[in-house]
Amino acid sequence: MTESVVLQAEEPAPLEGVIKGEVLRMYQEVAEHPEGEFHFYHGRQAAEMFGYERQWLDRAPPGAVASFAGVGNPHLRSRLHAGDVVLDLGSGAGLDSIIAGWQVGPTGRVIGVDLNPTMCRKAEAHAATSGVRMACHEGRMEDIPLPDASVDVVISNGVINLSFRKRTVMRELFRVLKPGGRLSITDIVSAKQLAQSIVNDPKLWAS
Amino acid sequence: MFGLLEGAGFTRVRSTVVPGFAFRKESTRDAAEAYGVKAVLFTAQKPST
Repeated sequence: MTESVVLQAEEPAPLEGVIKGEVLRMYQEVAEHPEGEFHFYHGRQAAEMFGYERQWLDRAPPGAVASFAGVGNPHLRSRLHAGDVVLDLGSGAGLDSIIAGWQVGPTGRVIGVDLNPTMCRKAEAHAATSGVRMACHEGRMEDIPLPDASVDVVISNGVINLSFRKRTVMRELFRVLKPGGRLSITDIVSAKQLAQSIVNDPKLWAS
Repeated sequence: MFGLLEGAGFTRVRSTVVPGFAFRKESTRDAAEAYGVKAVLFTAQKPST
Protein backbone atom coordinates (compact mmCIF):
# COMPACT_ATOMS: atom_id res chain seq x y z
CA MET A 1 0.00 0.00 0.00
CA THR A 2 1.30 3.44 -0.90
CA GLU A 3 0.77 5.68 2.03
CA SER A 4 2.30 8.21 4.30
CA VAL A 5 1.55 8.59 7.94
CA VAL A 6 -0.58 11.61 8.66
CA LEU A 7 1.55 14.38 10.06
CA GLN A 8 4.95 12.75 10.03
CA ALA A 9 6.95 15.30 11.99
CA GLU A 10 9.41 13.52 14.29
CA GLU A 11 11.43 16.42 15.67
CA PRO A 12 10.25 18.46 18.63
CA ALA A 13 7.85 21.08 17.36
CA PRO A 14 6.62 24.27 19.02
CA LEU A 15 3.07 23.23 18.31
CA GLU A 16 3.38 19.98 20.22
CA GLY A 17 2.24 21.36 23.54
CA VAL A 18 -0.71 23.17 22.00
CA ILE A 19 -1.77 20.07 20.12
CA LYS A 20 -1.42 17.86 23.18
CA GLY A 21 -3.78 20.21 24.97
CA GLU A 22 -6.26 20.13 22.10
CA VAL A 23 -6.15 16.32 21.95
CA LEU A 24 -6.88 16.14 25.68
CA ARG A 25 -9.68 18.66 25.35
CA MET A 26 -11.36 17.05 22.37
CA TYR A 27 -11.41 13.49 23.67
CA GLN A 28 -12.54 14.61 27.10
CA GLU A 29 -15.35 16.46 25.33
CA VAL A 30 -16.37 13.25 23.55
CA ALA A 31 -16.41 11.45 26.89
CA GLU A 32 -18.34 14.09 28.79
CA HIS A 33 -20.67 15.27 26.03
CA PRO A 34 -21.07 12.37 23.61
CA GLU A 35 -24.21 13.99 22.24
CA GLY A 36 -22.03 16.78 20.76
CA GLU A 37 -20.97 17.20 17.14
CA PHE A 38 -17.43 16.32 16.13
CA HIS A 39 -15.41 15.98 12.92
CA PHE A 40 -15.61 12.22 13.28
CA TYR A 41 -18.36 9.71 13.87
CA HIS A 42 -18.37 8.38 17.39
CA GLY A 43 -20.38 6.31 19.81
CA ARG A 44 -22.51 3.34 18.83
CA GLN A 45 -23.02 4.64 15.29
CA ALA A 46 -19.27 4.53 14.65
CA ALA A 47 -18.77 1.19 16.36
CA GLU A 48 -21.52 -0.43 14.31
CA MET A 49 -20.06 1.15 11.16
CA PHE A 50 -16.77 -0.64 11.89
CA GLY A 51 -18.34 -4.01 12.52
CA TYR A 52 -18.32 -4.22 16.30
CA GLU A 53 -20.58 -7.06 17.31
CA ARG A 54 -23.96 -5.87 18.53
CA GLN A 55 -23.84 -8.20 21.49
CA TRP A 56 -20.65 -6.44 22.66
CA LEU A 57 -22.28 -3.03 22.34
CA ASP A 58 -25.44 -4.18 24.12
CA ARG A 59 -23.43 -5.68 26.96
CA ALA A 60 -20.87 -2.87 27.47
CA PRO A 61 -21.65 0.09 29.75
CA PRO A 62 -23.56 2.76 27.79
CA GLY A 63 -21.00 5.39 28.77
CA ALA A 64 -18.16 3.40 27.22
CA VAL A 65 -20.12 2.88 24.01
CA ALA A 66 -21.30 6.49 23.72
CA SER A 67 -17.75 7.82 24.10
CA PHE A 68 -16.20 5.44 21.57
CA ALA A 69 -14.04 7.50 19.19
CA GLY A 70 -12.12 4.88 17.21
CA VAL A 71 -11.49 4.75 13.48
CA GLY A 72 -11.90 1.02 12.92
CA ASN A 73 -12.08 -2.33 14.65
CA PRO A 74 -8.76 -3.71 15.92
CA HIS A 75 -10.56 -6.79 17.32
CA LEU A 76 -11.06 -8.14 13.80
CA ARG A 77 -7.41 -9.26 13.72
CA SER A 78 -6.31 -9.24 17.35
CA ARG A 79 -6.60 -13.04 17.77
CA LEU A 80 -6.72 -12.78 21.56
CA HIS A 81 -6.48 -15.92 23.68
CA ALA A 82 -7.47 -16.69 27.24
CA GLY A 83 -4.72 -15.54 29.56
CA ASP A 84 -3.21 -12.93 27.24
CA VAL A 85 -1.93 -9.65 28.65
CA VAL A 86 -3.25 -6.88 26.40
CA LEU A 87 -2.14 -3.28 26.15
CA ASP A 88 -4.83 -0.88 24.90
CA LEU A 89 -2.83 2.15 23.83
CA GLY A 90 -5.03 5.24 24.17
CA SER A 91 -7.76 3.41 26.01
CA GLY A 92 -10.16 6.36 26.25
CA ALA A 93 -13.46 5.47 27.91
CA GLY A 94 -12.55 1.79 27.74
CA LEU A 95 -14.76 0.09 25.15
CA ASP A 96 -11.88 -1.68 23.36
CA SER A 97 -10.32 -2.67 26.69
CA ILE A 98 -13.60 -4.19 27.82
CA ILE A 99 -14.04 -6.19 24.62
CA ALA A 100 -10.44 -7.39 24.88
CA GLY A 101 -10.99 -8.27 28.52
CA TRP A 102 -13.95 -10.46 27.69
CA GLN A 103 -11.77 -12.35 25.22
CA VAL A 104 -8.75 -12.91 27.49
CA GLY A 105 -10.98 -13.93 30.38
CA PRO A 106 -10.21 -14.03 34.09
CA THR A 107 -6.71 -15.44 33.58
CA GLY A 108 -5.75 -12.56 31.31
CA ARG A 109 -5.67 -8.86 31.92
CA VAL A 110 -5.89 -5.57 30.10
CA ILE A 111 -3.64 -2.61 30.67
CA GLY A 112 -4.81 0.75 29.41
CA VAL A 113 -2.55 3.71 28.79
CA ASP A 114 -4.06 7.13 28.27
CA LEU A 115 -2.82 10.70 28.35
CA ASN A 116 -5.81 11.75 30.38
CA PRO A 117 -6.05 10.51 34.00
CA THR A 118 -9.78 11.29 34.13
CA MET A 119 -10.35 8.99 31.17
CA CYS A 120 -8.24 6.31 32.84
CA ARG A 121 -10.45 6.35 35.93
CA LYS A 122 -13.56 6.30 33.74
CA ALA A 123 -12.26 3.34 31.71
CA GLU A 124 -11.40 1.41 34.88
CA ALA A 125 -14.89 2.03 36.26
CA HIS A 126 -16.49 0.87 33.01
CA ALA A 127 -14.27 -2.22 32.97
CA ALA A 128 -15.09 -3.06 36.58
CA THR A 129 -18.82 -2.99 35.89
CA SER A 130 -18.19 -5.25 32.88
CA GLY A 131 -16.33 -7.86 34.90
CA VAL A 132 -13.00 -7.07 33.25
CA ARG A 133 -9.63 -6.84 34.99
CA MET A 134 -8.21 -3.57 33.73
CA ALA A 135 -5.65 -1.20 35.14
CA CYS A 136 -5.16 2.09 33.34
CA HIS A 137 -1.96 4.08 33.58
CA GLU A 138 -1.73 7.76 32.79
CA GLY A 139 1.07 8.06 30.30
CA ARG A 140 2.35 9.05 26.91
CA MET A 141 2.51 6.64 24.00
CA GLU A 142 6.06 7.88 23.33
CA ASP A 143 7.10 6.70 26.80
CA ILE A 144 4.82 3.79 27.69
CA PRO A 145 4.86 3.22 31.46
CA LEU A 146 5.36 -0.55 31.22
CA PRO A 147 8.39 -2.85 31.52
CA ASP A 148 10.11 -4.42 28.54
CA ALA A 149 8.52 -7.57 27.11
CA SER A 150 5.48 -7.40 29.37
CA VAL A 151 2.49 -7.73 27.02
CA ASP A 152 1.30 -10.36 24.56
CA VAL A 153 -0.84 -8.16 22.33
CA VAL A 154 -1.17 -4.43 21.67
CA ILE A 155 -4.41 -2.98 20.41
CA SER A 156 -4.95 0.68 19.57
CA ASN A 157 -7.64 2.59 17.77
CA GLY A 158 -7.10 5.96 16.12
CA VAL A 159 -4.44 7.16 18.52
CA ILE A 160 -0.95 6.90 17.03
CA ASN A 161 -1.75 9.46 14.32
CA LEU A 162 -2.05 12.03 17.12
CA SER A 163 1.63 11.71 18.01
CA PHE A 164 4.40 13.96 16.74
CA ARG A 165 6.89 11.14 17.29
CA LYS A 166 5.55 8.09 15.57
CA ARG A 167 8.90 6.35 15.22
CA THR A 168 9.32 6.60 18.96
CA VAL A 169 5.84 5.17 19.48
CA MET A 170 6.67 2.19 17.27
CA ARG A 171 9.91 1.57 19.17
CA GLU A 172 7.95 1.65 22.41
CA LEU A 173 5.40 -0.86 21.12
CA PHE A 174 8.24 -3.14 20.07
CA ARG A 175 9.88 -2.76 23.49
CA VAL A 176 6.82 -3.62 25.60
CA LEU A 177 5.76 -6.62 23.51
CA LYS A 178 7.04 -10.05 24.47
CA PRO A 179 9.01 -11.93 21.78
CA GLY A 180 6.41 -13.33 19.41
CA GLY A 181 3.89 -10.74 20.60
CA ARG A 182 1.47 -9.15 18.17
CA LEU A 183 -0.22 -5.87 17.51
CA SER A 184 -3.53 -5.01 15.88
CA ILE A 185 -4.04 -1.31 15.42
CA THR A 186 -6.36 0.83 13.40
CA ASP A 187 -5.26 4.31 12.49
CA ILE A 188 -5.44 7.12 9.98
CA VAL A 189 -2.96 7.44 7.12
CA SER A 190 -2.81 9.72 4.12
CA ALA A 191 -1.59 9.11 0.59
CA LYS A 192 -0.14 12.63 0.34
CA GLN A 193 1.78 14.87 2.67
CA LEU A 194 -0.71 17.21 4.28
CA ALA A 195 -0.54 20.95 3.71
CA GLN A 196 1.22 22.90 6.44
CA SER A 197 -2.01 24.77 7.17
CA ILE A 198 -3.60 21.45 8.16
CA VAL A 199 -0.54 20.28 10.08
CA ASN A 200 -0.53 23.53 12.04
CA ASP A 201 -4.21 23.36 12.97
CA PRO A 202 -4.55 21.80 16.43
CA LYS A 203 -8.26 21.10 15.95
CA LEU A 204 -7.69 19.16 12.73
CA TRP A 205 -4.73 17.31 14.24
CA ALA A 206 -6.80 16.31 17.25
CA SER A 207 -9.66 15.06 15.10
CA MET B 1 2.89 3.49 9.17
CA PHE B 2 3.83 0.27 7.37
CA GLY B 3 7.40 1.48 7.03
CA LEU B 4 7.54 2.66 10.62
CA LEU B 5 6.45 -0.76 11.88
CA GLU B 6 9.08 -2.52 9.78
CA GLY B 7 11.67 0.04 10.81
CA ALA B 8 10.99 -0.69 14.46
CA GLY B 9 11.72 -4.38 13.87
CA PHE B 10 8.24 -5.82 13.40
CA THR B 11 7.73 -8.64 10.95
CA ARG B 12 4.64 -10.00 9.17
CA VAL B 13 3.33 -6.45 8.79
CA ARG B 14 -0.05 -6.47 7.09
CA SER B 15 -2.52 -3.70 6.34
CA THR B 16 -6.07 -3.51 5.14
CA VAL B 17 -8.24 -0.48 4.55
CA VAL B 18 -11.11 -0.03 7.01
CA PRO B 19 -14.29 -0.09 4.95
CA GLY B 20 -16.82 2.59 5.77
CA PHE B 21 -14.49 5.02 7.47
CA ALA B 22 -15.38 8.65 6.82
CA PHE B 23 -15.28 11.95 8.58
CA ARG B 24 -18.70 13.19 9.61
CA LYS B 25 -18.34 16.85 8.67
CA GLU B 26 -18.50 17.47 4.95
CA SER B 27 -15.68 20.03 4.93
CA THR B 28 -13.33 17.63 6.72
CA ARG B 29 -14.47 14.78 4.49
CA ASP B 30 -13.67 16.75 1.35
CA ALA B 31 -10.20 17.70 2.59
CA ALA B 32 -9.52 14.14 3.67
CA GLU B 33 -10.55 12.84 0.27
CA ALA B 34 -8.21 15.28 -1.46
CA TYR B 35 -5.28 13.98 0.57
CA GLY B 36 -6.22 10.34 0.27
CA VAL B 37 -6.83 10.02 3.99
CA LYS B 38 -8.09 6.61 5.04
CA ALA B 39 -8.32 4.40 8.06
CA VAL B 40 -6.21 1.27 7.97
CA LEU B 41 -6.00 -1.83 10.15
CA PHE B 42 -2.39 -2.88 10.70
CA THR B 43 -1.18 -6.13 12.18
CA ALA B 44 2.41 -7.07 12.92
CA GLN B 45 4.49 -9.37 15.06
CA LYS B 46 7.59 -8.99 17.16
CA PRO B 47 10.06 -11.73 16.18
CA SER B 48 10.25 -14.65 18.61
CA THR B 49 14.01 -14.45 18.97
